[in-house]
Amino acid sequence: MKFLPRLFPALLAVSGLLPVPSALAEDAGALFVRRVWPLFQEKCLACHGKDEAKIKGGLDMRTAEALRQGGDSEEPSVVAGQPEKSALYLSVTRRHADDWEPMPPKENDQLTAEQIAWVKEWIAGGAPWPDDATQKVIAKANADKWSAEDGIIVPTSGGLAPEWTNRRYQPENLWAYRPLQKPAVPTPAADFQNPIDAFLTAKMPAGVTPAPLADRRTLLRRATFDLLGLPPTPEEVAAFLADPAADDAAFAEVIERLLAAPHYGEKWGQHWLDVVRYADSSGFANDYVRGNAWRYRDYVIRAFNADKPYDQFIREQIAGDELAGDASQPSELLIATGFLRMGPWELTGMEVAKIARQRFLDDVTNSVGETFLAHSLQCARCHDHKFDPVPTRDYYGFQAVFATTQLSERPAPFLPVENIRGFEERKYLEQRHRHYLAMLQRLDEKSLTAAGSWFVEKKIDRAAWDEAVAAARQQQGGTKKRRAFNGVFNSARTAMQKRGVPENQYPPKLHGFAPEDFGHERIARKGLERLKWENDRYEPYAFAVYAGRTPNLQSVYQPLRPPADALKAGELEETAILTGGDPFAAAAKVTPAVLSAANTLGAPELADSKLPEAIEGRRAALAEWIASPKNPLTARVMVNRIWLWHFGTALAGNPNNFGGTGKKPTHPELLDWLAATFVEKGWSVKALHRAIMNSAAYRRASAHPEPQQLAEKDPNGTSYAVFQPRRLTAEEMRDSMLQVSGELNPTLGGIPVRPEMNLEAALQPRQVMGTFAEAWQPNPRPEQRHRRSIYALRIRGQLDPFYEVFNAPSPDLSCEGRDASTVTPQAFSLFNSQASYDRALAFAARLLKETINREGAITRAFQLVYARAPRPAELASCLQHWDAMTARHQTLTFAPPQIPREVVREAVEENTGEKFTFTEPLEVAADFVPDLKPATAPPETRGLAEVCLVLLNSNEFAYLY
Amino acid sequence: MSSYFPCAGHRALHAPTRRQFLYSLGASIGSVAFTSFLSRELQAAPATASPLAPKPGHLPAKAKSCIFLMMEGGPSHIDTFDPKPKLADLHLQEFVREGKMKSAMESGKRYYVQSPFQFAKHGQSGADMADNWTHLARVADDLCFFRGCQVDSVNHPTAMYQMNTGNRFGGDPGIGAWVTYGLGSLNQDLPGFVVLPEVSYPQGGAPNWGNGFLPASFQGTPLRAKGSPILDLTPPVGITPDHQRTNLDLLGQLNRDHAAQHPGHGELAARMDSYELAFRMQMQVPGLIDLEKEDPKLKEMYGLGQDATDAFGRKCLLARKLVEKGVRFVQLYAGTWDSHDYIERAHGNLVRNVDQPIAALLTDLKQRGLLDETLVVWCGEFGRSPDNGVRGGTQYGRDHNPHAMTVWMAGGGVKAGHTIGATDETGDKAVECVHHVRDLHVTLLRLLGLDDNKLTYFHGGRFKQLSQFGGQPISELIA
Repeated sequence: MKFLPRLFPALLAVSGLLPVPSALAEDAGALFVRRVWPLFQEKCLACHGKDEAKIKGGLDMRTAEALRQGGDSEEPSVVAGQPEKSALYLSVTRRHADDWEPMPPKENDQLTAEQIAWVKEWIAGGAPWPDDATQKVIAKANADKWSAEDGIIVPTSGGLAPEWTNRRYQPENLWAYRPLQKPAVPTPAADFQNPIDAFLTAKMPAGVTPAPLADRRTLLRRATFDLLGLPPTPEEVAAFLADPAADDAAFAEVIERLLAAPHYGEKWGQHWLDVVRYADSSGFANDYVRGNAWRYRDYVIRAFNADKPYDQFIREQIAGDELAGDASQPSELLIATGFLRMGPWELTGMEVAKIARQRFLDDVTNSVGETFLAHSLQCARCHDHKFDPVPTRDYYGFQAVFATTQLSERPAPFLPVENIRGFEERKYLEQRHRHYLAMLQRLDEKSLTAAGSWFVEKKIDRAAWDEAVAAARQQQGGTKKRRAFNGVFNSARTAMQKRGVPENQYPPKLHGFAPEDFGHERIARKGLERLKWENDRYEPYAFAVYAGRTPNLQSVYQPLRPPADALKAGELEETAILTGGDPFAAAAKVTPAVLSAANTLGAPELADSKLPEAIEGRRAALAEWIASPKNPLTARVMVNRIWLWHFGTALAGNPNNFGGTGKKPTHPELLDWLAATFVEKGWSVKALHRAIMNSAAYRRASAHPEPQQLAEKDPNGTSYAVFQPRRLTAEEMRDSMLQVSGELNPTLGGIPVRPEMNLEAALQPRQVMGTFAEAWQPNPRPEQRHRRSIYALRIRGQLDPFYEVFNAPSPDLSCEGRDASTVTPQAFSLFNSQASYDRALAFAARLLKETINREGAITRAFQLVYARAPRPAELASCLQHWDAMTARHQTLTFAPPQIPREVVREAVEENTGEKFTFTEPLEVAADFVPDLKPATAPPETRGLAEVCLVLLNSNEFAYLY
Repeated sequence: MSSYFPCAGHRALHAPTRRQFLYSLGASIGSVAFTSFLSRELQAAPATASPLAPKPGHLPAKAKSCIFLMMEGGPSHIDTFDPKPKLADLHLQEFVREGKMKSAMESGKRYYVQSPFQFAKHGQSGADMADNWTHLARVADDLCFFRGCQVDSVNHPTAMYQMNTGNRFGGDPGIGAWVTYGLGSLNQDLPGFVVLPEVSYPQGGAPNWGNGFLPASFQGTPLRAKGSPILDLTPPVGITPDHQRTNLDLLGQLNRDHAAQHPGHGELAARMDSYELAFRMQMQVPGLIDLEKEDPKLKEMYGLGQDATDAFGRKCLLARKLVEKGVRFVQLYAGTWDSHDYIERAHGNLVRNVDQPIAALLTDLKQRGLLDETLVVWCGEFGRSPDNGVRGGTQYGRDHNPHAMTVWMAGGGVKAGHTIGATDETGDKAVECVHHVRDLHVTLLRLLGLDDNKLTYFHGGRFKQLSQFGGQPISELIA
């Protein structure tokens, strides 16, 4: 627990006094018990004793004898009384690399100066190694003294080794477990309306005066993006600037307007989706579409819009299905549990089912811990947590809660509040379905024809075969409206097989295939399989879970419906500690449990409450514990996230990690006050927004009048004396471009939409198990494509490069805060792409329609993009540029866009290693209505579009202040 | 480290001098005259270092750069470089695997199948190679074969992620990202980590070369095999460089006015610079990847213009050019080697596609004196099984096998002309010099002058590294 010197300023200060004069030093035997033996266990024994089979360098450090004997070097590791002759000491100093390899090998594991001094002093003191009984006596005699000096022992459910159980923690690393109490608001000289400012002022570095409040225009743009992810309209800007009310009151009114807007849920829902890793596909080999995931996305948006109390939001996502029993709208609760399945997961026939099941259990355990408790629990999967009081027993106890959680696409009737329009797009999937059937039909006929020559060549009587073929044909003709395909050729073969005809008496599978036919067969067969997942999108099912026994699944190639006998059939999983995280190495059994340290340190009154062991109700009980106002972590975690999403920095720097290695809160009292207030106000997220946004801290300008002084006095930027500017996120950028161009369709919710993606990326072939994934086909009509980005279909294996390049997080990792680093491909994407040119042209057309003269058009453009009018010089430059570009465009003609109706793919066939091509139809193209294109726009519009393109690429658009 | 955001890497919170953009000179780009776009090598990091500025490694490096030939799909060691005559004796005898680790893939009756390929020994070192590696056989003594590598996963994407990132579940940085994070790159105008994928992306997709939790600057940049090498590298048809220059000038003017109003906001300058760099790149990159002007003899050597070898030959030649220009890490994909059936035909064709180009790459590097400082690695994500369910009825293939595979290396610092490790008599499992893939990763880093235990990044509560939890270099592979 002492890996990171930066966390232990107190210890470092002590180490400055070293070496400890021997007169003051502890007795070497006590030093061994207190320091040296725990140090060995922490740093050395993993390679030098814990696993006898894997002892490195022949050195066993478990006994005094073995240590004195040394390892392969055949020199003693310890020479009593002589540290400078002891290999152990020389190697931990890392300064004798010529003779002794530095130990521990990892630089990051190196001992601190203080730890090295312990080793030295112990050897100098004769390197005593008291026996176990003596060790206990020494430990007991010194218990109080050591606790006071070394930190505290945290009672937990117990580690794998007693040394871990009894190890000590620096109190400052346990801050997040302390009971949540509402601190008194400091009362500094100034009279603050808002307690947040009082807390911040109390910690303001001496000599720092906070920046003045931002002007109304800046503030409105900041708040509108912050709450809606969109720019304010010129009308909203004008109204706010003209509001005669005092600044405070006028802005408070703005906040209310924004919080009431339905777009609020889209912006804040996106934050949540970042944390939970939302995507519309399964990832891994098949990357199957998760047809019903969109209902969870809309659930999240609704929850934010309705200001659903956060404790209820927790309960529903963890245990909605268990609460759904008597609910009037069970669908909503089932949909909420999609949260538990947000990680990538699949089960292919290639994988051992138990391993895949364990992958789900590990994923959900970590995800719940990370999302709600800011604990990355995976650290405790194979061993007790290295830094935090989370024993492996807790990990598996927590996991046992999910041992009866089963994955299923469950029936869940659509709710009146859900947007179920646009299902007619399913016709394209039907076309594709017919296409695949026709491919298989053709191949079937091919095999049947080739069978004829096979019989001739082999000189085998074909009567029995012909009979089987005839029977199969008749059967096939009888089936109406086939969804699956079972070819005549294959049916005939199966019939022959059943009759016991030897295999060499009838033609082999896939007979008569040319090399490309193998590929075509696979594409069609797997294509039909993939359509089952896509078709689920329009059916009333929820991407959800149920409580039950674990069914015996070997592979999952289609949506999983819940079984009729969930409580009876299948295996009742008994969770055990898995040695090394290996599902085949079960050790001690465990029962469902919560994080023990959070109870013992933070909520002793919850410590005795046991989670149920019945199949049902485990998650409901866990959710109740997490959502309890007594839980020390939950409220702190959420208010910290919300703070980060407003300010760009979190109070506790790692919102997913409140453990000892996470950053400590810069303003712990403020964090606690916010958390306690959050609970007090019924876990209302909107109330928290109001408290934060009405503070002076939130309303400050982003530039400080004395930047040099501020940088000196607040080098880490934690004072909140200025508001930190930020770049728009990928989604904000695209959505804003659509809004200013007048193209944005503000409809809420519904099945995922498919905007136009860079055409090459859209048609980029990509392999999925056994075949190639479908091309990205944009929706046919502009108003379908121009929805907000949160509604865009998110396929793990085919992320829109625009979002990727603008730092949208990968859905494989929980994202606690967006990055905004500048990389060159952003310029390609925003300056060169078809999408940018399209937005610019539509923007220009809108300006010309809405204004009566050229100056008016440019002015309106500035108002829409920057929320301000152009300065005279800017107006002049833009007008001049417009003229010049119009002149240029008069010489240019553009061809109308060619919409590809199909894409020819080149591939290497898996069976033959030969290249082959296949044609994928692009069904939507037939109905595709392009956006406004240069071919149909007059030169003047195109010239203005160049000005618009520049504005949309400018820094003033990209950054918020 | 200013922040530990898993999806963010470094984030400049209050440090206006820190700028991050891909292939850039940091703050100096705007002020330094643009002279030799493609050949500038930086000897030392400038004061305001770009993340890709060259950095010294932890150890003396045996190789400066790496060309990684990723044979996606899992090439069969048994049918390429690890002959198993025993399988001829066992041919079509029943193979039984039972127990907990059985998957649906392994259900049904299974049989041992012999290799359809003939083998011979090549070079002075007597390297085992299937007869169809006719070109590679000529450089056999430059290769170091390793038969002891094992991986954890039997599925393509997870095994690919493990080979490429160390982590089976994806989301971690690719090897090339780690290497450029550790060493920077020698050419600041190109990405430090370039990927030359197949026209169709492999299973698992772009995360195979992602930057994971490292800053975005270390992300692998795919130069796509068809179409625009980098997406949106050029504006739509009809927009000339002059036209775009005019737009850029207005953009510059607006941005300068804006920056004057926000003097404390350092990111503004970096973003302005990135547009200028992008403008230069869009004119230069197409020239770099255009191979038409190369010496016809060289093109012939790589197999350009031949149906079977053209695609991979282009990648190999381009890889050599990139490494020569100072790109640190180039990864090439060829596939798919997933020959469950008809392995004779499938592997036969695949070997034909890559044999001549790879031999040409090694020869070319050698002729230019670059082989000594370039590490070349050839591998798949796993090997293949000695047995098969005889699906298809007549022709044999092989299924996935994480317990045995062949990896070979050539160039900087490897023990050329040796075959290290061995598999059992059927090729089912590695039995000699057996190492988890993490040790292979540690070895690759070691050859490039990096110590896996020092090449770490704090994320998710601990210091992460390519080998995940530490490993040992495989000393037998190092000269």
